[in-house]
Amino acid sequence: MLRMVFSDARFSAMAAAVFAVLVFALLLMSEYIFLEPYLAGHVPRGGELGLALIVLIAAMSAVAIPANVYRVVMLDRPGRKMGGGIAGSALGTAAGACSCGPVGFAVISTFGAAGATATAFLTEYELPLRIASACILALTLATTHRSLSAECRIRPSA
Amino acid sequence: MRVAGKKVPVIAAAIVAAAIVVVVASAMMGSGTAPAADVARDDIPPPYPDRVYGGIDTSNGSPILGDPSAPVTIVEFGDYQCHFCEIWHSQTLPPLVDDFISTGKVKLVFVDFAFLGRDSPGAAQASHCAGDQDMYWKYHDVLYESQQSKIDGGWASPANLRGFAVQAGLDIDTFNECMSSKKYAERVSFNTQTGAGHGVEATPTFFVVGDSGDPVMIPGAQPYGTFIRVINSLG
Repeated sequence: MLRMVFSDARFSAMAAAVFAVLVFALLLMSEYIFLEPYLAGHVPRGGELGLALIVLIAAMSAVAIPANVYRVVMLDRPGRKMGGGIAGSALGTAAGACSCGPVGFAVISTFGAAGATATAFLTEYELPLRIASACILALTLATTHRSLSAECRIRPSA
Repeated sequence: MRVAGKKVPVIAAAIVAAAIVVVVASAMMGSGTAPAADVARDDIPPPYPDRVYGGIDTSNGSPILGDPSAPVTIVEFGDYQCHFCEIWHSQTLPPLVDDFISTGKVKLVFVDFAFLGRDSPGAAQASHCAGDQDMYWKYHDVLYESQQSKIDGGWASPANLRGFAVQAGLDIDTFNECMSSKKYAERVSFNTQTGAGHGVEATPTFFVVGDSGDPVMIPGAQPYGTFIRVINSLG
């Protein structure tokens, strides 16, 4: 059924855009890539699992979000099931907002000690949060696939 | 189908709620180390008066690592609780020391940017207390080598800072007296404000300064290759 969704070029383009934006944002926030003074990228020792999870989350989001948009737009279904895909993507993104980075600095500067505690939590549990994010997205994908299979089934006429 | 569809937001909500509970509980319980009274002494003169690189005042920073006459200077703003600072210290600094600092081409100055948690200023002050015994860089290394992932998790508590002092071979009575006096609280605060004034928004952030005096900013724990490119572009 997902093949049916992505046979439409608009949804394939949406998937590519979601993947590109997410993977770029996550790699930037997690300091796998740098834009200044030169474009540079590296994987520090011990950062391999984090990198793999970023690519996995971006790929899963790139499938889950267009598939749910397809349900809402093409099949005229309610949009509440999109929550899982968006929640999973948001959780995966937030987990990369390291407190050492500009996002963490902005949060700490704005919210003081509470911001420091929140960013420290995101930093400490970055990998478990990313794994949780992947699990949510996997569940969303399974639900979406099942939903599309049921909703798109051609019923034999009576 | 309707029940299965509702499970996803419910699980997401449960995880978010659990995260909030953990954050709130962590904030209420603290790390078990009460923050010391912020009584700073501002009567301690800067140890390196008029030491300015690329317009950045490092008069209250670390001693120079390397040859003071090296033509290129790297000014690092860092926090001892920052994970990326530890990555840079353990993975990028060693080849920089071997290839540029030991050879007299580059010198390094570390400047405190203690913003991540309540244990950050204490750790920075402890490094300056170690500096009183000419052991700044030794203590600096011990701090990063001892870093644990949880910010304010107690690894940089006052008791542990004393333990690190023993580990680094410092005279513990002198160190304790220095820490109790809070004599370097103002210095650490000054350094953090200096970084903010130069646009530092993350740690580590580096400024590489050559003969021209124009600083090149390198934000983040960037790879060795980036430093080579910047240093060579200044040479």
